[in-house]
Amino acid sequence: MTVTVQFWSYFKDHTQCATTSLELPDGTTLGEAHTAVIDQFPALGNMRHSTLKAVGVDYQPDDFPLNDGDEISLFPPVQGG
Amino acid sequence: MKTQLTLTPDPIDELALITEREMSDGMGAALVFHGVVRAQEGEATIAAIDYEAFDEMACHQFELIFEDIDRQWQIESIRVVHRIGVVPVNETSLWIEIIAPHRAEAFEACQFLINAMKERVPIWKRPKIEASSNSSQSN
Repeated sequence: MTVTVQFWSYFKDHTQCATTSLELPDGTTLGEAHTAVIDQFPALGNMRHSTLKAVGVDYQPDDFPLNDGDEISLFPPVQGG
Repeated sequence: MKTQLTLTPDPIDELALITEREMSDGMGAALVFHGVVRAQEGEATIAAIDYEAFDEMACHQFELIFEDIDRQWQIESIRVVHRIGVVPVNETSLWIEIIAPHRAEAFEACQFLINAMKERVPIWKRPKIEASSNSSQSN
């Protein structure tokens, strides 16, 4: 399956791109996809534990099962206000 | 509960917002909060903050927060305006109005809203040290 990954805030500086796509085996979880992203962009590894993860417009846990076409977002802690 | 959310690159026109206020006879509290850009960000003196938002998710997360508030307090209406893009020091980046029967629920709901926003709503800021477009990473 194919999922897209969006990066926000200074994560874009580390990846040098706003989006990428991943080819993943069926049944891949969000946490496993996060690991695959870090394999591709090692600079994100230092922020692994503080990274917020969403699928679509909702936050999801690491064991969330992904589906073909899902849009993942990875970003640092939010700072509105 | 009525809600209104605006994410905008434009300066917040509070006079227009106040003019548009709707408040029924049973309401005794109109609470307005301004979040204003400070000149100090950590140890740095800054000229502005550049706000970035994941708009679609930010709107969704604000809606979830509004639903949480509606379950917990008797509130007639909430209006939220959050600026996106460059906001100079001393200008309002966040404007909130809460209309409620009494002050207690208005203050509590406002505090809850701001705390929840800072945990969940995907908006980020980058301090701008210079008046030009140069920016630095905020954390």
